[in-house]
Amino acid sequence: MAAPVRKLSHAAADFWQAIRAWCGDDAYETYRRCAARRKDKKVLSPTEFYVEQLERRYSRPSRCC
Amino acid sequence: MKRILRMLLWLAIAILAATALATIALHRGEPISATWFVLAAVCSYLVAYRVYSAFIAAKLLALDNSRATPSERRDDGRDFVPTNKWVLFGHHFAAIAGPGPLVGPTLAAQFGYLPGTLWIIAGAAFAGCVQDFVILFCSIRRDGKTLGEMARDEVSKRGGFIAQLAVLAIMVILLGVVALVIVNALKSSPWATFTLAATIPIALLLGVYLRFVRPGRVLEASLIGVALVLFSVVAGQWVAGSPAWAHAFTLSGITLTFAIIVYGFSASALPVWLLLAPRDYLSAFIKAGAIFSLAGGILLVRPHVLMPPLTRFVDGNGPVFAGKIFPFCFITIACGAISGFHSLISSGTTPKMIQRESHARLIGYGAMLMESFVGVMAMVAACAMTPGVYFAINSPAQIVGASPESAAQTISNWGYPLSASTMTALAHSVGEQTLWNRAGGAPSLAVGMAQIFSTTIGGDRLLSIWYHFAIMFEALFILTVLDAGTRVGRFMIQELGGRVWKPFGRLNWYPAILLSSAMIVAAWGYFLYQGVVDPLGGINSLWPLFGISNQLLAAVALVVATTILLKMGRLRWIWVTLLPMAWLVVITMTASYEKIFSSNPRIGFLSFASALSAQIASGHIPVGKIGETQRIIFNQRLDAAVTAVLAIMILVLLVEAVVQWHAILGRGKEPVLHETPYVATQWAEGD
Repeated sequence: MAAPVRKLSHAAADFWQAIRAWCGDDAYETYRRCAARRKDKKVLSPTEFYVEQLERRYSRPSRCC
Repeated sequence: MKRILRMLLWLAIAILAATALATIALHRGEPISATWFVLAAVCSYLVAYRVYSAFIAAKLLALDNSRATPSERRDDGRDFVPTNKWVLFGHHFAAIAGPGPLVGPTLAAQFGYLPGTLWIIAGAAFAGCVQDFVILFCSIRRDGKTLGEMARDEVSKRGGFIAQLAVLAIMVILLGVVALVIVNALKSSPWATFTLAATIPIALLLGVYLRFVRPGRVLEASLIGVALVLFSVVAGQWVAGSPAWAHAFTLSGITLTFAIIVYGFSASALPVWLLLAPRDYLSAFIKAGAIFSLAGGILLVRPHVLMPPLTRFVDGNGPVFAGKIFPFCFITIACGAISGFHSLISSGTTPKMIQRESHARLIGYGAMLMESFVGVMAMVAACAMTPGVYFAINSPAQIVGASPESAAQTISNWGYPLSASTMTALAHSVGEQTLWNRAGGAPSLAVGMAQIFSTTIGGDRLLSIWYHFAIMFEALFILTVLDAGTRVGRFMIQELGGRVWKPFGRLNWYPAILLSSAMIVAAWGYFLYQGVVDPLGGINSLWPLFGISNQLLAAVALVVATTILLKMGRLRWIWVTLLPMAWLVVITMTASYEKIFSSNPRIGFLSFASALSAQIASGHIPVGKIGETQRIIFNQRLDAAVTAVLAIMILVLLVEAVVQWHAILGRGKEPVLHETPYVATQWAEGD
């Protein structure tokens, strides 16, 4: 009984994580992990990252007809 | 044994696809169940994905998982981010799915359900998916370069310039046309206008929340926003029910035109976090929800398709738009079958996030199949209403007659029985003042969707709520394209202007921002205004123009893809991109020729201008209307000139490419491939 429940909770957690990744909710966490891996000297704050990311994303075609 | 079972399963799916396609093609007389459409589409997609995309991946592209993708080599946590293939599939699908696959099939339903449905399924499998997949692959191999950059590097400098111009042209025409769809959907509808207007303060609220209160917490902010938007759909009925408020939100086409122009300018000039981005988040969630609900609704309700397979308008005299099936069906349905605009997404964000080359098959080919399925669902929704109602909603008053009685008579005389009281009752049940002459596709699609949704939940009691939900969903979708497109167009103008005068190219210099925003808004605003004052409803002249420009961009993408594949030495399989490219060139050229030179004034821009000039000369136009008529004449000539420029652009690019191909094949020139050098992946298999 415990195994199926565990499987189900893993699947739910994965699904939740996928939704967060799809809508960009975890973008800052991804950036922080990458910055730590690269040992970046300057790490942007959540607000700085959010605004910078939007400026970049909406400067090229991002939505189709 | 397992292999044999698998083969038998695929054989069964293929037989089911063929049976369903034959059923919808050969069925005559009685209405047909929508289940056949779903079966035909899904089984054809499965076979196409299993066989054709696998063939392209293995033989034509030779995808190589040992090669590091840009997201691995340049991982920066910003643009280049290795992303799970299913998440990236969702991203890519959300980016390519716009209003096109909903509106195009709805308009093309005037030919009957058959031509459009077959084109959506076959066009996607053999052209649209191929374009998206191959361009994605080419961009992955070039560190995520854009279509314009690849055209410049691999075809010629002039090719790159043409691609850039084509993008700007399609942007301007697209924005004008989709804005016209919104105007026609909101005209004289206080409920729909209120609902859409309410999304602006909601988006601003979310913008402030995401910027200052909880930076980047997109999920929670979007859920709050979606709840508020749904509440505004319900609240719209109270607005429509109050005489004072209903009066305030009942706007004419011209007023809505200027409101949308001002909105587009604001969205381009304001900070992106304030209005554009939060609206995009809202739109993405509602889009996903509405598309899945529509699919679920069709499967649950299995409505009967009442439109015949072929209508009398295959002769080219359709009331929605004039022109025969060939070439007009193929340019009216662009996005559900093949869309040049997708090549910009396939050479934009997606190649920078892909983890492995093999994922390009699912994301490039698979996402386009899903978009095609959206097109089939739109066709089902449009054809599930009685043909008389469909033509009443989509035909301009100049063709069917201004009064409900005369319009009903005209449509009944075509062989599609309709009474004026049916339309009055329908308008009343969806909470609208009228549904006559609501050209543009959005209202008829909303009626179709509302009928499917209300059969699932709520019955007739909720029909008006579902109708306005569908209108809000389509309009929100379109406004997002309008916001994002205007901003990108502004950057393009600043980039071009910056070559002449440097300060104009500075993206943070406010006078340049305002001026370039005004320029791009004026460009699409002109097309929008032109459509609103067009006596034939605007869609008749502008939608084909949009289709031509979109298919032109697809032809550009396939020319670039073919050139790259030739340079890679894939001559044996070159027909995979060459045939769809040739098909697109043929339909684009034929449509352009007919739109410019046809002697039928409803098709040819020049003959319509001549007919109007003759009417002025013969004194048939009242003196007070002469100025307005001369403006329409000018607009028709302008449309002819724009169409001619688009056609010339593709011909020039084609000549450039053919010269290249000749040199490569004749070994007169050693092909230079501008691929990023091979780097082996550091990721273990399964990472």
